[in-house]
Formats: sequence, C-alpha cells, structure tokens
Amino acid sequence: MSTAEVTPASTGTKKTLKVKRYKPSEDPKNTYLTDEKGLWAWMTTVDHKKIGLMYLGSVTFFFLLGGILALLLRTELLTPAETFIQADTYNQFFTLHGAIMVFFVLVPSIPAALGNFVLPMQLGAKDVAFPRLNLASLYIYMIGAIFTFIALANNGLDTGWTFYTPYSTESSSSVIWVTLGVFILGFSSILTGTNFIATIHKLRAPGITWGKLPLNIWALYATSIIQVLATPVLAITVLLLTMERVLGIGIFDPALGGDPVLFQHFFWFYSHPAVYIMIVPGFGIISEVITTFSKKHIFGYWAIALSSLAIAFIGFLVWGHHMFTSGQSAVATTVFSFLTFLVGIPTGIKILNWVATLYKGSIEMKTPMIYVFIFLFLFSIGGFTGIMLGALSADIHLHDTYYVVAHFHYVMMGGTLIALLAGLHYWWPKMTGKMYDEFQAKIGAVLIFIGFNMTFLPQFIMGSQGMPRRYYNYIDQFTIFHQTSTIGSYVLGVGFLLIAYYLAKSLYSGEKAGSNPWGSRGLEWQSTSPPDFHNFDHTPVVINGPYDYHKPMEEFQLGLANENDHH
Amino acid sequence: MANHSTSTPSHVHHHFVDSDQQFDTAKLGMWVFLVNEILFFGGLFCAYIVYRAWYPELFQMAALELNTFWGAVNTVVLIGSSLTVAMAIRSAQKNQMKGLKINLLITIGLALVFMVIKGFEYAHKFELGIFPGEYYTYEGLDHPQAAIFFSIYYMLTGVHALHVIIGIGLIYWIYLRAKKGEFSSEYYTPVEITGLYWHLVDLIWIFLFPLLYLIE
Amino acid sequence: MSTHNHEHHISTAGQLWAVGTALLILTIITVVVAKFIAIPPPFDVVTAISIALVKAFLVAAFFMNLYWDVKFNAMLLVMAVIFFLLMISITLLDTLYRNDVVPSF
Repeated sequence: MSTAEVTPASTGTKKTLKVKRYKPSEDPKNTYLTDEKGLWAWMTTVDHKKIGLMYLGSVTFFFLLGGILALLLRTELLTPAETFIQADTYNQFFTLHGAIMVFFVLVPSIPAALGNFVLPMQLGAKDVAFPRLNLASLYIYMIGAIFTFIALANNGLDTGWTFYTPYSTESSSSVIWVTLGVFILGFSSILTGTNFIATIHKLRAPGITWGKLPLNIWALYATSIIQVLATPVLAITVLLLTMERVLGIGIFDPALGGDPVLFQHFFWFYSHPAVYIMIVPGFGIISEVITTFSKKHIFGYWAIALSSLAIAFIGFLVWGHHMFTSGQSAVATTVFSFLTFLVGIPTGIKILNWVATLYKGSIEMKTPMIYVFIFLFLFSIGGFTGIMLGALSADIHLHDTYYVVAHFHYVMMGGTLIALLAGLHYWWPKMTGKMYDEFQAKIGAVLIFIGFNMTFLPQFIMGSQGMPRRYYNYIDQFTIFHQTSTIGSYVLGVGFLLIAYYLAKSLYSGEKAGSNPWGSRGLEWQSTSPPDFHNFDHTPVVINGPYDYHKPMEEFQLGLANENDHH
Repeated sequence: MANHSTSTPSHVHHHFVDSDQQFDTAKLGMWVFLVNEILFFGGLFCAYIVYRAWYPELFQMAALELNTFWGAVNTVVLIGSSLTVAMAIRSAQKNQMKGLKINLLITIGLALVFMVIKGFEYAHKFELGIFPGEYYTYEGLDHPQAAIFFSIYYMLTGVHALHVIIGIGLIYWIYLRAKKGEFSSEYYTPVEITGLYWHLVDLIWIFLFPLLYLIE
Repeated sequence: MSTHNHEHHISTAGQLWAVGTALLILTIITVVVAKFIAIPPPFDVVTAISIALVKAFLVAAFFMNLYWDVKFNAMLLVMAVIFFLLMISITLLDTLYRNDVVPSF
C-alpha cells in the first residue's frame, strides 16, 4: 500500500489519497460485451461503449453506401460522354454521396463512434455525464437517417449537398425530407457535444488536471464546442429552407426580393466549422497514436492542446471563403481571405509538433502508425491546397473546379478518414479484445495510400486546367486524368474491402489481445480488453501525464485504495 | 475525500459520486444546451438584422400593423412567468412542495395566457390577409417587399411560440412529478433545469418585443 | 469526486419580486420611450436594445442565478453572445457593402 499525492481536479487543493496498484487482468471473465447480451439489451443500453460501437456500425454502413455512390460516379466519368448514367441521375448521385458522407459519416464518425468509446475511459469515468441522452443521440441519428431514406425512395435529391437556393427551393426533388433529416441529425450532434463538454468538465478521475488531459480529450472538447455553437445555425438554415419551400417565405428568393447569398452565409456559417468538427477529433487520434508508437512524450503539449481551441474559434470566422464568387461584397471577400490564412496556422503548429515528436523516438511501424504517416502526408497536401484556395485571386479561377474537389477529399478523406482508420486499428484490441492480422492490415494501408493518390492527385491537375466539378461529361483533354482517377477509386475500394474483411475475421479468429498490446501509458489501456462494464473496477487515480513514457507502467495503474461501493 | 457513502440517495446515478456533482453537471449541460438555443434564434435574428438594414422604411411601415399594447402585455406576462418559475425553484429549495406546485401551475397559466394573446394576434392578421410568404394577400402596405417583413415576423414569433409550447409541456411534466412527491430540497434538479429553459424563452422575447413591436 | 463546493444560493421572495418589479418598470420605460420620445435612427434601436440588455442581465443574473453560480456557466452565456455578434457583424460586412442588394446576374 503506497500513498500518492494528487490534486483533485475540481478543487485544485492538494490532498493526499491512499492508492494502490490495480493491474488489469489479461483474461477478463466479465466484460461489457458479456454483461449485457441480446438485441434488446443493446438497443436499450446506456453504456457508452456499446453506443459507440453501434455508431461505428452505422457509420460503416453509410460509408459503404456513400462509397458505392462514389464508385458509380467515377465509373460514369470513365468516358467523356455519357457512360451509363444520365445527367439527372448523376446529379442525384453526387448530391447523395456528399450528403451521406458529410452528415452521416464524417461529422459523427470519430466523435460519436470512437469518441464515445474512449472519452470516458481516458477520463477514468464510468460513463458520459448523460448516458440516456447518449442513447437518445444515437436514436435521433437513426431517425434522421430514415428521413433521408424516405427522400431517396421518393424523388431523391439533386441540389448538391450544399442545397443552394434558389434551385433548392424550386427543385422537384425531395428537398424537404432531406432537410428535415438533416435538422433531426443536427440534434444528435448537439447532444453528443453537450454530453462531452459536461463529462470533460465534471467527471474526471482524481488527479486529471487540465494539463494532464490526453490530447484526444482536448480535441474532442474543441469539437464539442464547435458542434454546440455551429449546428443550431444549420438547424435554422434548413428550417428556413423548408419554410421557403412550403410557405414561399421569400427571404432567399430573388424573385420576391430575397437574397440567395444570404442562404450561403447561413449555410456556410455551420458548414465551415463543420469541417473542423470532422478533422479536429482526427488530430486528437494522431496525437495519441504518434506518442504510443514513438514511446515518447508529445512535443509541445500545450501548443497542440490550445491550437485545437484556436482552430475552433478562428474556424467560425472564415466561412465566406466558400463564397468568393457568389456576389458578396468586396469588403467581406477580402476580410475572409485574410482570415482564412490565419486558420492554417494552428494546424501547421500541430503538424510540426507531431513531426518533432518523432525525433529520437522509438518508432514502431505498426498499422496505426502507418496510418499516421499516411495522414501526415495526405493531410499536409490537403491543408496546403486549402491555403492556396484561400488566396482570393487564385480561387476566382479554381472555385467550383476539380481542384476544390481534390482539396477537400485530401483533407476529409486523407485527413479524417485516415485518422479514423488509425484510431480504429489502434483501439480495436481494446474494444474487441482481439488482434487483427498485422500483415493484411499493412497491405490494406498500402492499397489505401496508392488508391487514394491515384484517385485524387490527377484531380488537382484537372481542376487547375479548368475541369468543373459536378459535371458528368467533359472535354477530351481530361480523359486520361479521369480514367486514372477512376482506376484509383477501384483500388481504394479494394483496400476498404480488405480492411473490412480482416477486421471482421479478427472477431472470430483473431489472437487474443492483452490489456495493453501497444504499451501505451494512456488510462484507457490500464483496463481489461474488452473493458469491464463500468470501465474500471476501481476509481483510477492519475499522477502522471498521459505521455510520460519515461515513467514505469505501474504508476499508470493506480486507483483509490479504499472503495466502499462496487457498483 | 472519498465520500462513497454506502447508501447513496436513489436519485444519484451510478456514474456520479454524489448529488452535488450530478446537480452541477446537469446545470452545466443545460447551459450548454441554452448556448445552442441562443445560436438557433441567433440565425433568425441575423436574418432580421440583414433585412432591416436593407429595407428600414419597410420595417417602419409594417410595424404599425403590429399591436404594441398586446405585445407589451405579453412581455409582462412572460416576465411574470419567469418570476413564478423562479419562485417555484425557491419553494423546492426550501422543501415547500405546495408552493412548488402552485408556482408551477401559475407559470403554466401565464404561459397559456401568452399563447392565447398570440393566437388572437395571429387571427387578426389572418383576417387582414397577412399570411407568411407566398400566401400574403394584404394590400394595406405599399411596399414591394412587405411580405418579407411578415415572413420574418412569423418565423421569429412562430419558433418562439413553439418553444413556449414545449416549455408548457415540460413544466407540466415537472408538475406531475412534483405531485408524485419526487422532489425535495435534496433533489430538485429537473425543476432547476426546466426553469433555466423557461427563462431563456423569456430572454428571447425580451429582445423580440422591441425589435418587432417597438419600431417607430 | 467533488463535494460541497458551494451552497446552493436561495434567493428570498423579496429579492425575486424586486427583480420582477424592476423588469416590469423597464418594460414600461421601453414602451414609453419608443412611443412618445422621438429618437432619430439608429439610436432608437440602440436605446431599445440597451434597455433589453439590462432586462436580460437581470433575468440571467438573478432569475437564472448566474450571479451566484459557477463562473463557467456565465462564461458559456457570454461566449454564445460573442459568437452571435460575430455571425451578424461579419454577415453585415457583406450585406451592407454590396453594390446591389440582391446580386443581379
């Protein structure tokens, strides 16, 4: 029995707590997967881990749907003229691909799927602050999805995922079903953000001060702030759009003296911060993986932590860079261009700090780490091209071309999705208690990397030469680029199928994972794999930072020595 | 420090250490939700501001069609309901269950008065042909964008009224739970956070009233 | 993990009624000023909003108990207002500085 001195997170006064070491069992008998069984138990669970897994399943399903749409689009683009889809159908496909990927995959994926699972464990909490609200978030997400399917079954949607007026007010497609679906989905996002903010503030284990929070938590915190501040503006935007269609309100309709650019302001006020909702949690994952597989303290902890908040704040000031050619005033355009350059700075700080973390680290090239390197490469390209698009004079030519398409796929897919894959491969042993086939996983990563670049690098070239986006036919000079891009997309598809295959296989025949296969110092790893229903069977006490790899593992497995209640 | 009592009150959920942590967390959560509501209405206020800056003369003219007196009455009614809901929370804090229930009922009553007055306002407008959007047929305003003012008016007051209705439902639910004896000075968290929601509804109206009814 | 950081403040009935009365008086003032005192625009809006802000402060501080609450909750409210102001001011940078109100194509 040894004593440790810890500072309880909430009061800030030093108190002495009696702690002892709780080494997690390598062969857990009861886990969160065995304690509640059956479909009804899963559907009514308030356990954040199961809710996270259900989100993961949903996100995977929607990714499959959106991915198939993407492959159909790319196949159509194999030939300059119509290949096998008509123009109207093509419009529907790219609209749905965008809407599904943005709203049903990228926005919820890392926070709701991985975040839900990992956040309470990283804080040493038993659950999130409002577990029933968490389940409600999941169901709201499902209901939003159903509305979208209803739209698909009716007239579909062909406005582009951005729903610009006046076309979206006049289009005969099922705009209202989708906008209502998005409205409902927004609540899911808001409630998750609320839950995370409350949990991070109030449910930290003794000893976890703000300076000892894992950077993943800082990232999810910044994301939650954005979710709460930005999503309601999307809600009011889609509500106004719905009213515009139903009642003919006229605030966006030029024929009635309204302003279509106002719609764009409202829409992008959410949708730009939304891209930070998508990427910032990814940044959190990168911090976790890169430290674990360098066995080294992160370089510049506070710089990375606070840069997440800086991105959250500055991200709200730059939305007009989506509207440079829309007719907004010259004053606004100039201001937005300038502010857009600012938003790249905190991200640049992160990239440099991550690379600095690698220096003199003991690097292990396991699959999660491979994805981190892929991320650093792809996201840097995406980020740089974003800055280039932020330059007003360049954007006049590049707006609505494939350059933009390539840019956002590099940041959203090369950024968020790759980070999601890194996190998935990193926390898979913890979530399932199984290890996947490392060799197949590495092949998958290579396929993804090659396929991705083959798909999207040509698009930069096309775009700068003038190939417009959302066009289903094109002139001959772009054929070779489109064809390369399409082949690349098939390689990507194969890569994802391989990932799905070996991950599914691991559930049946994977090697048993120990509690901490990667040797991480993170608190979530000081539990069984899979974890206990309540995450830990003790109250963890934290005395070190999450990246103190120079300290022995025993110091990360401390918990209160006296527990009167075992729930 | 470890205050894991062997008998935690039943209202404390298992992932909280004690009643205080649960209460503070619930309040924090509700304030975060209110932030979200402020930005939600904020979008509507933004539309209002943009159009008022573009068509100031329209807003001057159109506001004459709104009844300042009844708008002011509604303001007083809502302020009164904020007072009574604050009194309700006070009753709960002092373990005065009868006072809690009475104050909750008065709050609901005042909220219903607000809705009735709103109903009459809307009915009067419909009689004149002042409908939202493309259904607007009123000839009495000589301005090409007259419909837009009223569209904004209906959106702002309509979304607000929806929140009032939801508030009535929530407060009534709290009243029912109070009747069942669920609350005491030890545990009145749902009363507190419902009160916070209701105060926000009042806050929004405090800004709506001058912006819509007091343009002279 | 956290115990009694603070006692829950209980306002007296008198305090609550005083705030309510102040709000009532401010409502009367704002109506009287708007209807009977001619103020040139934009100052008429400024006056009305200023009075509304005082009322809002009273509700937030004394009905919603922010005056006695953890400072963080008040900061949340302030943050919401700041972001709202950012939204309108930057949008106005566009809408107020256009050549045509509605972009003509």
